[in-house]
Amino acid sequence: VKRDRLIFSAFTGLGLPNHGPGLWWHPDARPIDHTNLEGWMALAHRLEQARFDMVFFGDSVGAPDVYRGSTEQALIDAIGIPSGDPSVLMSALASVTSELGLTFTSSTLQEHPFNFARKLSTLDHLSNGRIGWNIVTGYAASAARNFGLAELPAHDQRYHEADEYMEVVYKLWEESWEDGAVLRDARRRMYADPGRVHPIDHEGKYFRVAGPHLPEPSPQRTPVLFQAGSSEVGRSFAAHHAEAVFLIARGPAGAATLVGDVRARARGFGRHDGDLFFLQGIWFVIGDSEADARRREAELIEWVSAEGVLADLSGKLGVDLGDVDLDKPVDELRVRGVQGIVDSLRDAGEAQQGTFRDLTSRLLGARVVGAPEQIADRLTTWAEAGIDGFNVMDTPGHGAFDDFAQHLAPVLQRRGLMQREYRAGTLREKLFGSEPQLPARHPARRHRRPAAPILEDGKDSAVSAGGRVA
Amino acid sequence: VSSVEKRIRLHGLRQSTVGHTAVGLWRHPDSQARRYRELDFWLESAQILERGKFDALFIADALGPLEVYQGRVDAALRDGVQTPTDDPLLVISAMAAVTRHLGFAVTVSSTYEQPYQFARKMTTLDHLSEGRIGWNIVTSALDSAARNLGLDQQIPHDERYKIADEFMEVVYKLWEGSWEDDAVVGDVQAGVLIDPVRVHPIEHDGAYFRVPGIALSEPSLQRTPVLYQAGTSTAGKAFAARHAEGVFLSTYRPEMARRMVSDVRELARGMGREPESLKFITMATVIVAATEAEARAKHADYAAYASLEGSLARFSALMQIDLSQLDPDVPLEYVETEGIRGVVERFTRLDSSRRWTPRDIADFVGVSGGGPLIVGSPPQVADELERWMEEADIDGFNICDPVPPATFADFVQYVVPELQRRGRVWTDYEGNTLRESLLAPGHVRVSADHPAAAFRRLPSPAR
Repeated sequence: VKRDRLIFSAFTGLGLPNHGPGLWWHPDARPIDHTNLEGWMALAHRLEQARFDMVFFGDSVGAPDVYRGSTEQALIDAIGIPSGDPSVLMSALASVTSELGLTFTSSTLQEHPFNFARKLSTLDHLSNGRIGWNIVTGYAASAARNFGLAELPAHDQRYHEADEYMEVVYKLWEESWEDGAVLRDARRRMYADPGRVHPIDHEGKYFRVAGPHLPEPSPQRTPVLFQAGSSEVGRSFAAHHAEAVFLIARGPAGAATLVGDVRARARGFGRHDGDLFFLQGIWFVIGDSEADARRREAELIEWVSAEGVLADLSGKLGVDLGDVDLDKPVDELRVRGVQGIVDSLRDAGEAQQGTFRDLTSRLLGARVVGAPEQIADRLTTWAEAGIDGFNVMDTPGHGAFDDFAQHLAPVLQRRGLMQREYRAGTLREKLFGSEPQLPARHPARRHRRPAAPILEDGKDSAVSAGGRVA
Repeated sequence: VSSVEKRIRLHGLRQSTVGHTAVGLWRHPDSQARRYRELDFWLESAQILERGKFDALFIADALGPLEVYQGRVDAALRDGVQTPTDDPLLVISAMAAVTRHLGFAVTVSSTYEQPYQFARKMTTLDHLSEGRIGWNIVTSALDSAARNLGLDQQIPHDERYKIADEFMEVVYKLWEGSWEDDAVVGDVQAGVLIDPVRVHPIEHDGAYFRVPGIALSEPSLQRTPVLYQAGTSTAGKAFAARHAEGVFLSTYRPEMARRMVSDVRELARGMGREPESLKFITMATVIVAATEAEARAKHADYAAYASLEGSLARFSALMQIDLSQLDPDVPLEYVETEGIRGVVERFTRLDSSRRWTPRDIADFVGVSGGGPLIVGSPPQVADELERWMEEADIDGFNICDPVPPATFADFVQYVVPELQRRGRVWTDYEGNTLRESLLAPGHVRVSADHPAAAFRRLPSPAR
């Protein structure tokens, strides 16, 4: 897909910076106090000044507790805890910005789809259509247990449930209120036309929802949909639903494989290549020269909490890495659950020697190190592999976004790789140059009703909205 | 404490919808009710209330469309009566950003939330607002809400309160019992942000909820948000007496309110709580202007827009009785419903002074929404508010906004200065958090005699 520019998103979370355990202690990290409203508002304002396309809040509703069977290491390094709910912050960010997209993560485990759909419509109203939703199915068993489940549902079942969850929210967002249902006609005493508001009467395996949707339609109806699954069933889910696929590939080659696969699946679902884009998570270490950048990188890495990395990884893999001997040579290391990662690092020639402790900094996601011009070159390589944009990590801390804005953005803009001004309209229009609402070939639109015939002035509609009562 | 000395506590009452307490008035040219989806509308409203030194904005909510009347949602949609309605929680952080002291009491149903993530949301908001969050606990009276959340019908009334009691226990444990006060150590040298020894799993395993983990958020200023409740049934009163710090009343006669106040205070005393620590806030609609004549003209003008059908739709849903099925001119009899029993009682057996027909109810609630309707000059309004304080033994008012935000603005312009002159409201905030506004300066966390306090932990010994 040919895009006129790359997309840049600021990847953070409502807690301490999360992508490099230990790193936010570094003096350059400049993390904002995550409980402080002004700090977040000022950040959002700066992101908009810098012409970031959006801010992206990751989230998980469980504290990592797999490593050594406790949350101890997570608390020491603030990995996923303490953390706040990002949805309740969004309206404040909307109030100090007018163009910045506002995307946050919410798991299909954590909230009933009827409630959740209402929240997203509310936020899409309040932000004039700038909301994105990163759909996750929740990998943490610790989260599932706090929602009354004995254990996390099996991986594939979570996706089945998530598929039905999507069906419910699509019906609420797209089907329940017709275009033109809201008249606000004081003379006829008709705020909304009952003939154009419909129950959804969803009866499925996991959910039963009668409807109608409580909010009137918001500018985007369905928020821009993000997803990050990389498993077989996750890719299929993304190809079906996602408008933006978030990935953390180790390099352009790995990214190309995933992008090609998901695109092929999406075509199979009748979607167009331009309907979805791919966003790579990335961490920049910017220097005046390559040598300067390398020096900064080495200095930063000294701050990595190796135990924290293991605790984070243990949570994500669901495997306790608590007995990994960090100081053993990698060559001798055999670890259940993480051997694939070790092998792939070794194969990539990045960890021929050294200990697992040395290797931990390699587990913090893709990083691009260099002078601004060099970094821009590297991003072009990613783009050639099919990546449409980047989710810029708050590593080592939120100061990373300011460094990006100051040093990298001007170079990227000069080369035409980054926007200088926002496109008008909703987040979907800004990102895709499309209509405010989903294209007709997206599965959500299968639930859109044909509009009812226009009524004569003064006449009530023939169809009752209730539907349940004759 | 004589009620004469009581400071009048002022809350502003809203819902994120078109037609809330006064139905049909959205059509009035001065009404900005249609802007309920706009951020600026909420920011302006919050600023008006803070200018008037209100304690809080109280945001109501309903989780289902109003479809009892005629068995369908049509009448509600025509007037936008709580349908459509947006989520009340999500606009708060933006309002917190443009105010310093105003509290935000938000309605959330315990019946349809997961306590674990709900607790986290409230803590997040309490952080972001620096301790200005309150929670109006409801158990959801609408069958339509139940049907949207996977149930065939309402959970029976009394069982809803049992679930709510356990819900409270879970969130108290998360707010009060999981993190010790000095758990966040921020030791750069040792590379330790939080001392794990001071963070405890709550290990809750009950009849309705199982929540083993630690709270995800570090404690906020108030820890437990200020708790409001509005239940008027027997189970509801017991619940309020146990948990509420603010009790929201919506009756139209002081002696009816007074009975509620003394009942709930007595119940609270029986549970070991200081009865006067519960603050009673009654809903009131005030139409005020510089002179009585102007105020009366304003009221007549508003009343011309009231919607009879919309009002019946609203009260049908509150009572869970389809008033369209009844003769509009035959007085109502009390019946047991799964709806808000207190509302049914109010128009039947609680009111010995008169009998109410459905038409009477609709006429009466058209502008008032069911609470007292006070129309007059500033001194007349102040007199009437003082009479209510005295006769009902209440602590303040939840002021309605039938023509938003003009009614709020009128109140702040005309009534607040008069009450300030009389020394009945404060001239400036005396604390920073909502609990300090409602109770007393310095009173940031729940009182020692509140059930949430039982879940507090003693500090662990230093390692």
